Amino acid sequence: MLRRLYDLAYLFKEYLVVMLLLSISIALLTLNDNPQIRTIRSLAIVSVGLLQDAVGIVPNYFDLRRENRILRELNLTLADEVSRLREAKLENMRLHQLLQLQQRAGTTYVTANVIGKNLQLLRNTVTLDAGENNGIRADMPVVTESGLAGRVIAASSQYAVAQILFNKDLRVSAKVQRSRVDGIVTWEGGSALNLNNVAKALDVQVGDVIITSEYSSVFPPGIRIGVVAATHPLEGSLFQAIEVTPSVDFTRMEEVFVITAVPDSTRIALEHRAP
Amino acid sequence: MTSLPMRQTLIDILLTLLIILLQTTLVRFLAVGGLEPDIVLVWIVFYALRRGQISGTIAGFASGLLLDLLSGADGMLGLAALSKTVVGFLTGYYFNENKTLQTLGSYRSVLILAGMAFVHNLIYFTIFLQGTDVGVWGTLALYGIPSAAYTAAIGLLPMFAYARRLLS
Repeated sequence: MLRRLYDLAYLFKEYLVVMLLLSISIALLTLNDNPQIRTIRSLAIVSVGLLQDAVGIVPNYFDLRRENRILRELNLTLADEVSRLREAKLENMRLHQLLQLQQRAGTTYVTANVIGKNLQLLRNTVTLDAGENNGIRADMPVVTESGLAGRVIAASSQYAVAQILFNKDLRVSAKVQRSRVDGIVTWEGGSALNLNNVAKALDVQVGDVIITSEYSSVFPPGIRIGVVAATHPLEGSLFQAIEVTPSVDFTRMEEVFVITAVPDSTRIALEHRAP
Repeated sequence: MTSLPMRQTLIDILLTLLIILLQTTLVRFLAVGGLEPDIVLVWIVFYALRRGQISGTIAGFASGLLLDLLSGADGMLGLAALSKTVVGFLTGYYFNENKTLQTLGSYRSVLILAGMAFVHNLIYFTIFLQGTDVGVWGTLALYGIPSAAYTAAIGLLPMFAYARRLLS
């Protein structure tokens, strides 16, 4: 083997000698530090770069597989991060709206998350992750950034249960914001609320906003309840049937505010004493 | 490559050193219009034609390196070595063991010398003028080619000497 190598080297001895001496000369040249050599160095770097680029267009199967695997893993991580960021953004938007509501109303609120919900019954409720330890008591109103959601009916130290508007037992004193016509909002099933006790002659139109009225001893006045979706006169009655679409989308409700103002007990007592 | 006797090698080394000494001291007095002949190059070309490619390559490298070292801060270390190594190597292609004297004693040697002087100047100036505002081709036209011609003219002297030996 060595013999063959020696023979080969002897055959090309002129080229080996000149290559060796030229290499030494070039190595000596690189020791110089003057503009000429700096220019040649930069030219050499550019040439090597171009050569690498030219060679780089030939794909390496194993490198591509490895790169593909890394990119897929990165894609998965980034997709997860995007999902979490989107959630955070939506939550931020909701909380921002709630905060604006809090500032506007000037009342004190307790923030709570909806941790349980039923919407298929006649007496639908939601369970909140805040209770008496947070200052929540029975009869306190529950609102969202969209409007009135319901009323607390029971509270433990850490949890509370609230009736929502889609509950047969909940009645809310309300009025039409535009015409100031009073009525009582109830729910008899279905996807819409009803505004009752409104005479046929009173001015209620589709699109009117319904808000809580000053007559309620539980709910502060002016909280948006919903929008009139349809009106039609009741046969054989003095009143008209008014369907109201609630402002709150209960299927998507995740965070709520509980208004911690306790209803005026003296007013309630007085109203109960009245004939 | 034919192995040379030790005495002949020593003479060659001493001659190389003498020519380099002459190049760096006395040749400036032969300058015409700023052009100087390169007698080291003449020596390398004739040496390669007489001794062969490897000897010419080594002689070119060694003498060029010495010139680089002697030129100090004015030159670029390795540049003369590089250009003269190439000249020694290329001249070796014209080496013919059976017609050495005929080649050396004819105008063929001077033509080879002229060509090699041009190649030498081309390599030298291409590298030396990199990164400067001076153009390589312009410098070659104004200095490189006349200098190569002058070097080739100096080559007539050894050519006549070999021609005389050939005739005798």
